[in-house]
Amino acid sequence: MIEIFAQLGDGFIACLHPTTMLMLLLGIVVGLLVGVLPGLTLVMGVVLFLPFTYKMQVTDAIVLLSAMYVSGTYGGAFTSILFRIPGEPIHVPLLWDGYAMARNGQPARALGWTLVAALVGGLLSAVAMVMLTKSVASFALRFSSPEYFAILVFGLTSVIALGSGSLANAVIGLALGLLIASVGTDPIYGAARFTFDMPIFADGIEFLVVMVGAYGVGEVLSRLERGFSSKPLATISSTKTELPSLAEVGQVKAMLLRSTVVGHIIGIIPGAGATVAAFVAYGLESQFGRRRAQMGSGVVEGIVAPQSAATASVGGALIPLLALGIPGSGATAVILGAFMLHGIQPGPQIMMTSSAMVYTIFASIFIGIAMMCVLGYFAIRPLVKILDFPEAIVSAFVMLFCFVGALAIRSNVTDLWLMIGFGALGYLFERYKFPIAPLVLGVILGPLAEESFMNSMISFSNDWTVFFTRPIAGTVMALAILTLSLPIIGLIRNRRKPSGPPSAPQLSSVGGAERVLTPEA
Amino acid sequence: MNVSRREVLVGGSALAAMSVVKPAFAEEYPSRPIELVVPWGPGGGADQLARKIAQLGEPEIGKPMPVVNIPGGTGATGMAKILANPADGQTAAIYIADAHALLAGKSPRWTMEDITPVAVLIQAPSFIFVAQDSPHKTWDDFAKAAKERPGALKVATLGFGSVDDFTLSFLGSKGVKVNQVPFSKPSERYVSILGGHADALYEQAGDVGSFLNGKQMRPLLVFGSERFAAFPDVPCSKEAGFNIALPQFRSIIVRGGTPPERVKKLSDALQKVAATDDYKAFLKEQFAKDDSFIASDGAGAFVAKQLDDMKAAIKQAS
Repeated sequence: MIEIFAQLGDGFIACLHPTTMLMLLLGIVVGLLVGVLPGLTLVMGVVLFLPFTYKMQVTDAIVLLSAMYVSGTYGGAFTSILFRIPGEPIHVPLLWDGYAMARNGQPARALGWTLVAALVGGLLSAVAMVMLTKSVASFALRFSSPEYFAILVFGLTSVIALGSGSLANAVIGLALGLLIASVGTDPIYGAARFTFDMPIFADGIEFLVVMVGAYGVGEVLSRLERGFSSKPLATISSTKTELPSLAEVGQVKAMLLRSTVVGHIIGIIPGAGATVAAFVAYGLESQFGRRRAQMGSGVVEGIVAPQSAATASVGGALIPLLALGIPGSGATAVILGAFMLHGIQPGPQIMMTSSAMVYTIFASIFIGIAMMCVLGYFAIRPLVKILDFPEAIVSAFVMLFCFVGALAIRSNVTDLWLMIGFGALGYLFERYKFPIAPLVLGVILGPLAEESFMNSMISFSNDWTVFFTRPIAGTVMALAILTLSLPIIGLIRNRRKPSGPPSAPQLSSVGGAERVLTPEA
Repeated sequence: MNVSRREVLVGGSALAAMSVVKPAFAEEYPSRPIELVVPWGPGGGADQLARKIAQLGEPEIGKPMPVVNIPGGTGATGMAKILANPADGQTAAIYIADAHALLAGKSPRWTMEDITPVAVLIQAPSFIFVAQDSPHKTWDDFAKAAKERPGALKVATLGFGSVDDFTLSFLGSKGVKVNQVPFSKPSERYVSILGGHADALYEQAGDVGSFLNGKQMRPLLVFGSERFAAFPDVPCSKEAGFNIALPQFRSIIVRGGTPPERVKKLSDALQKVAATDDYKAFLKEQFAKDDSFIASDGAGAFVAKQLDDMKAAIKQAS
């Protein structure tokens, strides 16, 4: 233990080297920007920056990329809360409560809470990372396809939370999302599905196109219909930054800790990253949290849970990367690539042979999180001011970023047409009060779930019971089934006593969902 | 401005003269940086090779070679990009066995006529690996277990329709029948045997170098007609009675129909690259054959033979 502290101390000193500090700052700023720009995902941002690191020292390169990774899990919170455009898939859960809170006239408070969540989640997770890297690394090895599948199923069941207005609508949206995700070449046997002999469909529909279209373009279309009539924010709220008081944070400390632990563990699991962490943490809170009934109406829990889990997943994801050479997420896969390009293969031996570098990276995560929150604190005020711009102008820029983002994926103009199509779909969904979130969730998690399901089937000779008999998979599955059955049980109970008034929490949850899905309705 | 007829004539003939000269300018190859398309994501084997070639090749070719990653569709998306460009040698691509395997499948999106191999840069044999603590001490143990319980042993591969699939199906037709479990992400593939979820792994040694050095994995069998120098105790597939060798190869191609003198020029530059100590060290790191390099005069035949070998393996297996 003492040895760890000594090495971490050396790491902090190494971090103070001017070029390393510069890289750290650059990474944080770029990560925030990448997070803010919808369509330019965190993974894509890290990919775009990878070539710049070829000529750098390996430590500087990794510090730069992991700093981008950390702040990329935070930057998107701004656009999610202020404009209802998630900069990252990570921030889709944030927009349900965050945007609702902003529309309730408290955007600065919502952003203040994300800052606290990112700070606490990130730092606690970083401490765990330093303590556990050696021992926990082997835990990741116990996860195989059935476990991944169980976790993804649990992620998909959080759909119940997303559409508390109508379970049927949510499930329809989810099914549609899964259908869209199945377009393209089947990942296992290579069969062409719904491709209509068009090359663009053969490569599948990128979830980004769906996400940017349905949320970004759809939102602009809805605003267009209303004639850009919303009031400038200044008239309905103050733009002062509002950090929650210590007492307020104290009230949610259990939830904050729970989400951080969930985020950290999901980060450790190879294949699941910040996005899954955010969804699962939100799902947990909306099913088992203290204020589960109000989730979606702009409560603190709905902001803090996904944000702290997302930032905490970074510390988790770096553990298997460094200790086993196994990336726990898309961004860490790129960081692994950066290691290899510098001739270093992370793995158990790296802790022995290059421990100085490992601890410098650890230290940079701590400094990076602190730096990110300071930048975030000062960025909140100017960013909230953007809402004072005429809505038409902001919308024009949103459209611009949507197009840039959709084109950046694979430089294919057909993606733009697809995005416009999904924009129209998103608009119709909003118009007819269908929740968009389950659709997007299906598109993002569907392909992952399919691959892990098929792998499990192949591995275990088509024995579907493995999802329930293996201890970890079984536990997660049980949790998923519980999540699914809770609202149904509630429904039956309400039917039994038709004379009585509907129970209060359920009413407010319906109202909350309505408000999120159709903010100005 | 007064322009006399004479001036116009002079100007016109000057223009005519320039247009005559122009083809001579075009002979300057490369006239601008050569775009090097990597149809795979950054960080992988193909990408590492491209970056190496771009770095070492610039002084030899006299122009930079910017690397462009276009992943997707087992290399098909990037291939579409190169086939859309003119056949002038200004766009090249890294072409590897995994993409080549698509040509052996149904309805490939390009044919051998669409590409001109410039040079083969890496040839690395494939291995069967197991975790260090695996009960299978030798290939014979493994083959015996597979024969006793056909299809019970799990081998992690890249996916169906890949070189991995061809080779393992071929083994299956010869009595060593295993259950192929496809993992498209390399990391999951490696975890599967380290965590004991699969019994073995089909892979090239360069991709799991750290696991080999860290004593977490060990090879059981190398595919080919001779043993691999770095693992003198590991039998080759020919000794074990399987006449199959579908090595991983990574080459550089340009579009079919590119003028031969340009292909030659590019190939000559790459030959110089391959002779550098830097490149030889790179081959060692990748556990590739020391004599991997094949210039343009032999590259086409090599790539064509690989396809024939793949087709033969499929035919044998089916």
